[in-house]
This record gives sequence, structure tokens and C-alpha cells, in this order.
Amino acid sequence: MSSAPGRGHAVRWEAVRFAYDGAEALRGVSLDVPAGTTLAILGPNGAGKTTLTRLLIGLLRPRAGRVSVGDWDVAAKRPDELAARVGYVFQHADQQLFERTVRRDVAFGPRRLGLGDGGVERALGELELLGAAESHPYDLPAPARKLVALAGVLAMEPGVLVLDEPTAGLDRAGRDRVIAALRRRSVEGVTVVVVSHDLAFVAEVAERIVVLREGVVVADAPAGRLLGDAAALAPLGLEPPPAAAVGAALGLPGAPIRVGECAAALGGVRWRGAGA
Amino acid sequence: MALDAVTFAYPGAGTPALLDVSLAIEAGTVTGVTGAVGAGTSTLLLVAGGFAPRLTGGALSGRRDIATNRISIVFATPWTQLTGLATTVRAEVAFGPASLGWPRGSVLAACEAALRDLGVEHLADRDPGTLSGGELQRVVVASVLAMEPELLVLDDPAAELDPAGADALYALLPELARRGTAVLVATPDSERLARTAERVLVMEGGRVARDGPPAAVLDDTDVARIAWAAGCPAPYPLDVAALVARVVR
Repeated sequence: MSSAPGRGHAVRWEAVRFAYDGAEALRGVSLDVPAGTTLAILGPNGAGKTTLTRLLIGLLRPRAGRVSVGDWDVAAKRPDELAARVGYVFQHADQQLFERTVRRDVAFGPRRLGLGDGGVERALGELELLGAAESHPYDLPAPARKLVALAGVLAMEPGVLVLDEPTAGLDRAGRDRVIAALRRRSVEGVTVVVVSHDLAFVAEVAERIVVLREGVVVADAPAGRLLGDAAALAPLGLEPPPAAAVGAALGLPGAPIRVGECAAALGGVRWRGAGA
Repeated sequence: MALDAVTFAYPGAGTPALLDVSLAIEAGTVTGVTGAVGAGTSTLLLVAGGFAPRLTGGALSGRRDIATNRISIVFATPWTQLTGLATTVRAEVAFGPASLGWPRGSVLAACEAALRDLGVEHLADRDPGTLSGGELQRVVVASVLAMEPELLVLDDPAAELDPAGADALYALLPELARRGTAVLVATPDSERLARTAERVLVMEGGRVARDGPPAAVLDDTDVARIAWAAGCPAPYPLDVAALVARVVR
């Protein structure tokens, strides 16, 4: 996926440290993410992934180090100011839904930022929520509420989009909609940061992967290189996503990591018949 | 647990969430449930576990027989299952068996076994409120297992877990079945269902649309999608080894 110059901002963590009640969650993390990059942050539970991203929106403040979004030092901005640049979708959508209808909820952020409704309709459309637009968000199943929360953030058209476990609980169709929406933002030059355990999803959207463990960066590599390398993933407690595993097992050209790439690389193979 | 022609509707809902569902879940088995959002997977778990309409309200028709009262449920949202009374993980996990009136020795033994099964012994003295989502989910599953349920219902129990934690949790389910527990687990994660469940129910519009072994009823793993897009004839292989076996070389 190619990133175009556009409305994205570079994101930078410099020697960042953070602790919860004495328990160190981040132990000197430095990352430089150029504008327009789609970065995935992986790592085991408790590695510091969510902590790292919450520093971007001022919900947490580092104990040491510096966090910046474009030319803004996050320490100098309030969370409501940062919201103009950084859209954050929490892991649990119920933390950010409060209006009486889906459309009102999705429109809340853009209106507050003085934007029109164009982004609202676009986000509702691409996540296939138009049919539920007049429903109360809490009348929808939890996975659908997750899409509503994402739509609300997409509608604000942020230059930096941060998503914490965006596919957890989603069915295949919902997951496909999220993938398509993120690919469009990447093409528009938006900087995207996803925290995820879903390596197949990460393979579909990410250009670069950072792996955290116990608050430090233990891997930082292009997605195609890391996800196709079972030997490099094993010590990180990870396995290649299915497309990469199929590619490796059959020695497919181009070392595909995505479903579409893998299927294309399989073009022309002959299959044993049904039930074989 | 058996349902016979069960229909269930939530309070105020225009249409039932479950429609004419008949099935039996045997002790010592792992049954998976999957389906699109709104298909009725979570509702099936609530009804099968006896939690709906008792806790949700609504109307149930048809016949439901649950041959045990040792039933536990695990939700995808672990913080909603904390007692709020325990200041350590050990106390949290011990709360269930202690509330059942078990002798102190049995409570402690069940607690330690559950902490070990979920790999959270190292968190035993931590305050549950300071744990990450994934750590908390494992603690919640441990607190449920400590009560040694005979019917265990899990709704997307690995949603908070890292891949290693999710694999470990799903590997534990057949072990629980071997100990005699009837396990009913719902998830959109077809890959793990294919590896874990001996039987899968696919829900559509509140009905059980398909019911059988994973290879016979699932068709939406990433590997199956690759096979379909590459022109493989149905039934589609669900995992890498099965796909490789279908390629003529």
C-alpha cells in the first residue's frame, strides 16, 4: 500500500517512560513514524501498547521523554486540542458513545470541530451503518457499536488515526469494512497507528510493525519482512498470518502476506477435487 | 443441556433473537458457535446457560432442560465480571468457590489449580484493577474455572488476549471437556474454532443454519478465503496443511 502526501502528521516518541503506581509500563521507548505511515504495534498482554498510544492524546503524560504529533509537543496541548489532529478509537467502544442515535454520535466530533456532515455520511456509508443511523447505539450489538465508534473518529478526518484492537469481536464482514476504510485513509496520506493481536488484519493494513515487550521495543521492521519470517516471529511469541504461512509452505513467489496477494500467487495451480 | 423448539425475544424487541432452535449439548464436548453480528450467537449462549430470560427479561417459548446448576459464563468484557470486592487476584479467584460454601482447603486448592491452568500464578498478589485487559481476562476465566462448572459458556473469551494467551485458552477447552465439562464457546474466530471444537453451530437470523464438524460447516477462515479466491473447489480447506494437501504438484 503506498502512502500519498496528504493530511497526515508525523508521530514521534522520544525516550518515553511511563509507570502505573510504580509498575513500569514503558522503559524508554523511541519511535519515529513518518506522516502517512500505517504502523502496527504488537506485543503480549501488558507490554505497554495501549499506554504508548494513550500518550498521543494526552490521556496519559510521560514520566520522562517527549511525545510529538507533527510540530506539536503533546505536553503543551490539552486533550481537546489534540483531538483536532489525533482520532482515537478505544478498544471498548462503549467508552466513547453517548448520543441518542448513531448519526448524532458520529456527527458529534465533526460538529465540535466545525466540519460539515460530508465526513459523517462517508463514514456511515463505508462502515455500512446507514441502515442503523437512527438507532440508539446501545440497541446495537457490541461489534456494531465498535464500528459506530470508528465512524465517529473517521468523520473528524484526523491526520493521525489511532485504533486499539479495532477488529476484536468483529465478524468477517465488519473486519473487511475496517480494512477497506484504513486502506483508503492510507492512500489519503493519513498516519495510522493500530494496536492489534490480529496478525491477519495487521498483514492487510500495516506497512511497518513494532513489537513491544515489557515496555521496550523488541522488533521494528517492514510488515512484509517480519510477517513472512517465521523464524523471526517465533521468539516474539507470534506466528505468520495464514496467507504468509500458505506462501511459505508452497514457496509462492513474492512471499505474500495478504489474502489477495496469496490467492493471486496461487493462480494457475491445479486443485484436487471436492473431498480429496 | 437441551433446547427443543426454543424461541426467545428480548423485552421490547420486534423480532425474536432466537427462532425455533433445537439442539443438545453433551457433557465432555466442546461446541463452537459462530455467525455474523446479530445472528444470535450471544443470545444462544445466554439461553443455553439459563441466563436469559432470567437476567435479561424477555420471553422464551419451547422446552429447555439444563441438567446441572453448576453453570458459569465468561464474557468478552472481563471488567464486567469482577466482584469489585477483592483486592488481590487470588481473592478474586477464590471468591466463587468460597461463596459456594466449599471448605477452605478445597477453595484454596481450586483457586491455585485455576491460577495455574490460566498461567496467572505470577499475578496472584496483584490488585485486579491494575491489570491489562488480557491479564484480566485470564483472571476472570480462572475465577470461573475455580467453581468447577459442569456447563461452561464462553462468549468470545479471547477477545482481549494476545495470540499466545488465546491459543493457551483454546487449548484448555478440550482439556476441560476431558474432565467432563460441557463447553459452549462463541467466537467469530473461525481459525481457532476449527482447531478446537468437535462440533460447530453456525447461526443465521436467530436460527441454527448449519450444525456439524468444523470442516463440514465452516468456510470463512483466511485459508478458506484464499482457496476460494484461487479457484479451489468446495469444500474449502480451513487450515494451511489442508490447503497444501489439496494442491496438485
